[in-house]
Amino acid sequence: MSGGEGIEVRGLVREFKGGVRAVDGIDLSVAPGEIYGFLGPNGAGKSTTVLVLTTLLPPTAGTARVAGFDVVQHGPEVRKAIGASLQESALDPFLTGREHMRLQCALHGLPKFERDARGSELLARVGLTEAGDRKVNTYSGGMKRRLDLALALVHGPRLLFLDEPTTGLDPQSRVALWDEVRRLADDGVTIFLTTQYLEEADVLAHRVGIIDRGKLVAEGTPAELKAGIGRPSVEAVPQDPGDRERLIRVLHRFGEDAAAASGAVAVRLPTGVGELADIVRALDAEHVRVADLRLHAPTLDDVFLAKTGRSLEGAAQGEQGEDGEDGGNGGEHGESGAVGGGGGGEQEPARASMQQV
Amino acid sequence: MSDRAAHSAGVWAVALAIAWRSLHTYLRRPDLFIPSLVFPLIFFASFAGGLSALGSVPGFHFPAGYTAFQFVFVVIQSATFAGLFTGFTLAFDFESGFARRLMLAAGDRRGIVLGYALVGLSRALITLALVSTVALVAGMRITGDGVDLFGLYLLATLLVLVGYAWAAGVAFRFRSIQAGPLMQTPVFLVLFLAPVYVPLYLLKGWIHAVASVNPATAFLNAGRGLISGAHNHTALGFIAAGALVLLFAIWTLRGLRAAERAP
Repeated sequence: MSGGEGIEVRGLVREFKGGVRAVDGIDLSVAPGEIYGFLGPNGAGKSTTVLVLTTLLPPTAGTARVAGFDVVQHGPEVRKAIGASLQESALDPFLTGREHMRLQCALHGLPKFERDARGSELLARVGLTEAGDRKVNTYSGGMKRRLDLALALVHGPRLLFLDEPTTGLDPQSRVALWDEVRRLADDGVTIFLTTQYLEEADVLAHRVGIIDRGKLVAEGTPAELKAGIGRPSVEAVPQDPGDRERLIRVLHRFGEDAAAASGAVAVRLPTGVGELADIVRALDAEHVRVADLRLHAPTLDDVFLAKTGRSLEGAAQGEQGEDGEDGGNGGEHGESGAVGGGGGGEQEPARASMQQV
Repeated sequence: MSDRAAHSAGVWAVALAIAWRSLHTYLRRPDLFIPSLVFPLIFFASFAGGLSALGSVPGFHFPAGYTAFQFVFVVIQSATFAGLFTGFTLAFDFESGFARRLMLAAGDRRGIVLGYALVGLSRALITLALVSTVALVAGMRITGDGVDLFGLYLLATLLVLVGYAWAAGVAFRFRSIQAGPLMQTPVFLVLFLAPVYVPLYLLKGWIHAVASVNPATAFLNAGRGLISGAHNHTALGFIAAGALVLLFAIWTLRGLRAAERAP
């Protein structure tokens, strides 16, 4: 799959002074039209990989073909085919949004008569029509990211690199940007998206590559990756500790024992989350009241944990700055949902299961 | 979405886009724009006015008068510094990350080098137009002819490129405004170790020895010869400026390659 609009990377290495290998022998393929999520903690090598693939940094070893062109041999051709919204929004605070569009159109060689129309079209697409004539130093972080995305699209790239596009955005702006990414993918644009947010990779990406300390530790669809490390489990805490034995009996009808927190009982479900409603009905029939009932589906964090021995969230805190990546961890949570007393707050990914309950 | 991807800007299109943006920003920033105009005027007023008695020093002879004598220095200094400060802009653009946009969007990255050169030339044009107007209003005499005057501004143009190409080479290598002193200090030294206030033949001791081999002396001699019509090593001034443009152009293009390899 060396697709003309995809990415093909073999043995990619980028070493910095002092022998630090920010990227250490990565192999990956991104098919044309695919959204590829590149997930990892700060300093894992995500941004360095993007810099190499966008021709902003030459590799130390290995090969990378982007849109059918070698990034070392055919840099100009690669740059013509791609758009990129990098981690730092590279904007001039003294230019307006519209002037940025004009500049970017000119840099990409769009004919003069097309520039204003193209700029207006893209500003409208990212919801910045009204703010288009304001200087960028009056924009919020979210507006800057959206402008950056619009700028990356002026020449109609076949392949788009988004380096942590939602870092620092409020939830509303984040969802709006996700919608735009999906629209682009629907239009046939191949998207290489780096993120440190588990949810973002899970929700957006067709396939995910997990990178840690410069190495690709897992790759596949989110479902494949999660399925690869085990089945979901359900954990319950009886409201009355005296009901514990009855609770165990009910839960054992649905699966075998699993590790549980103190005072809780857990079983691993044989197939998936479909049994959750049956469990609730069975508990009700047996008059076992629970203080907390929690479904724990494997998450990408569990995948990361299984592959590296560390949690993605924890890994993010200790390794900042290795390759210039910054920004805080997004406070992602495991894909568990809870009913009863132990509510999960923002634990959104298990929403479908919890709605069944 | 790929119909537009066929477009690719050539070197000149990239250069013009960059020049448009940088000038736009420059004119919107009084903190950059005003000093670049005021400082040459202060130099001109203090050198040509406050030091005008130097024109009466025994042995000093300059047909166009001391104001024109100093005007040439201010022209050369303004031109060199217009180029030099464009290098600062480039370094700042690297530091702020904006240069990454340019590196990414420019099909041919030599357009970036050319674009900032156009910025330097435009800045110099604004400054030199103002300084020249003020000098003429102040009664400066020009005894050279139109061709001589054209030659003076052509020399100034080459010196804009010398200042720019030196500073841009540093900016590409360091990609930080912290490299500013490295850009500025050698140029200051070269300019002020030249016969700024009196002709070379009136200088004595070590300063005479240094000034004799300083390329800025050749620029000043050529410029003063042109404005006065009494040509003095004009060819040497142009050859020295041209050679430095060539030398620093290579320095800058190699700097661009270094920036392409840098993290």
